[in-house]
Amino acid sequence: MPFVVTHWINLVSMIFLIISGFVIHFPVPGIMGVCRGLHIFFGFVLFINCLVRVIMSFFVKSAPTGGTRKQVKDFRTWLPQKDNRHQGLSWIKYYLFLKKDHPLSAKLGVPQKISYLLIPILIVLMFITGICLWVPTMNWPFCQWVTGLLGGLMSVRIIHYFGMFVFIIFMFIHVYLANVEGFEPTKLMFFRKEHGGLVYDPDKHVIVGDDTLKPRNE
Amino acid sequence: MSENAKAAHITDALEARGVSRRSFMKLCAGIAAAAGLSASAAPRVAVALDKKYQDLLGADGDSGPLFPVLWIEGASCTGCTESFAQIETPDAGRVVLELISLNYSDVLCAGAGHSLEAAKEATIENTNYIVVYEGGITQGFESNTLRVAMETGEEILVHAAEKAKAVVALGSCAVNGGWMAAAPNAANATGVQDILKKHGIATPVVNVPGCPANPEWLMAILVQVLMMGGDKALVEGDVKAVVKLLDLNDEGKPQGIFGQTIHDNCERRGHFENGEFVYEFGSKEEELGYCLYPLGCKGPQTKSNCGVVMWNNRRSWCIQAGSPCLGCCEANPNDPGDNWVEVNTPFYERHRDLHIGDWFFQPTLVAGGLTALVAAALVIHGFGMKATGRMDGGADFEKRRAWDAKHPEKSIGQYEYSIFENNDPVALHEAQKEIAKQYEEPVAEEAAGEEEGR
Repeated sequence: MPFVVTHWINLVSMIFLIISGFVIHFPVPGIMGVCRGLHIFFGFVLFINCLVRVIMSFFVKSAPTGGTRKQVKDFRTWLPQKDNRHQGLSWIKYYLFLKKDHPLSAKLGVPQKISYLLIPILIVLMFITGICLWVPTMNWPFCQWVTGLLGGLMSVRIIHYFGMFVFIIFMFIHVYLANVEGFEPTKLMFFRKEHGGLVYDPDKHVIVGDDTLKPRNE
Repeated sequence: MSENAKAAHITDALEARGVSRRSFMKLCAGIAAAAGLSASAAPRVAVALDKKYQDLLGADGDSGPLFPVLWIEGASCTGCTESFAQIETPDAGRVVLELISLNYSDVLCAGAGHSLEAAKEATIENTNYIVVYEGGITQGFESNTLRVAMETGEEILVHAAEKAKAVVALGSCAVNGGWMAAAPNAANATGVQDILKKHGIATPVVNVPGCPANPEWLMAILVQVLMMGGDKALVEGDVKAVVKLLDLNDEGKPQGIFGQTIHDNCERRGHFENGEFVYEFGSKEEELGYCLYPLGCKGPQTKSNCGVVMWNNRRSWCIQAGSPCLGCCEANPNDPGDNWVEVNTPFYERHRDLHIGDWFFQPTLVAGGLTALVAAALVIHGFGMKATGRMDGGADFEKRRAWDAKHPEKSIGQYEYSIFENNDPVALHEAQKEIAKQYEEPVAEEAAGEEEGR
């Protein structure tokens, strides 16, 4: 449940950040003040949410893979698992239609894991470049150091701008891949509605069959 | 000066020249503002100026020792000198004659040629002095692009700076090359601080960017250093005291002048917040004096107090005159790439141009193009998914990992209970029982999960 909340917060703040960011860059008459306020507010929300999410992953348990009732500390499902070994190429082949059957994997496939691990880094980068550009914090020694490192405020601005497009590209791919094979992952992520699928033991890697969520008669 | 020599206070001296007390206090407030102090510091400035004036008069009423200044032109357009020559608070003549002893300036000095060079040499050898250096230093072509009195610009700077108490790098060119160092920079120009570092000279540098530098900034620095106790610190070589007095930041710029953005103090800021913008020159919005942000105003990222001090004796400044800020004060002495001409062109665009080889483009083109490309690729991929029938729950899972099939001895998965391997209801039942066991002892399960979950 906590991850459903953080995911909702991520979605809402990213949407607001992207829209208000566009308005700040391509100003529309009348709403600059509002958009700057929203942008700064949701910037902090997204960053704090990111921190909370990362910290929670060390305390909250979640399933290491679909198709099991077993739970592990959530961060383990983000880092490479035994299940992911040697599956990277399979995933790429699968996405490029070079492989016909769906690779077995942990909850997160290899490309998925790489991109999800990059997102917190991107959020932190966006936050830091953001506070370098925000007047109340731009003169902090840390911000001045970062600004100098990146080559001045114009460079910071452009990096912040490119970062937004990385978010947009990520969201396109993420939304597409999460929904193209059916809406079950979305229902789980947003409404906590469980779905069936391959039943699969994460320790023994034993594939035992399909779960249809129908009551089992022993 | 004879008619003023007996005057006890600077205000009397000024009144004798037709300057009222009121305009003197206004000057003090102006200097205070230029020095980054609040208007309430004006009396303090007045006292300091008065004290200095009395010191200068000396016991016998003669002019006391003025601090010698060498104003040296590097690769410059002389714009900073021109700008300084227009100053009225006080006017350039009074600064040159009464505040400092301008022993050398190719533009402002009455002397010229050999005698002027000799005066410079005498100053370097015999006095405590400061250097005001205007323009960049060209290192290319063995520094031969600039020669004065047979010496190259680089030699002149190094020679003058070695014994100087401080160097004021005046204007963006002197700070980090400015226009001189903009692409393609065939002459390999750079700023004062860079050259001093190259030659291992430790003389402190005060960086005053701008194109040109606002004369009041130089005024403020001269007043602060020479009249408010900085001269003693300079002579004693107490760099820390000077840095503290001028409140220099890590770029060697006075924080009071270059600590806030143009945007912070912009008179059109209200229009910005209201979302009232000028989208093109000659429009109704321009007439109404709306914010110039969409026309590429660099105010939000340029640190300078132009909007407070203004220009041409506070008559106007760029934005009041209707021009977006070009960001001429963007100059990092520690980073030649952070050169205002490089990072702020095209002037009327929000972003600088990036380039790959000779292809110049705006970041929006590449970022937007890439995003559109990904979107298009996903649409095409979607047709592929439809064609391969993966839309409905995806393809079937592989029965055995491709890698496991190739390396059965190192297999990651175990397939003995797999319904795919062994489509036998009894075996499946066995497997379910096997797995169910794990959930009967939650503690053991947790331990197992901790160790083997990865």
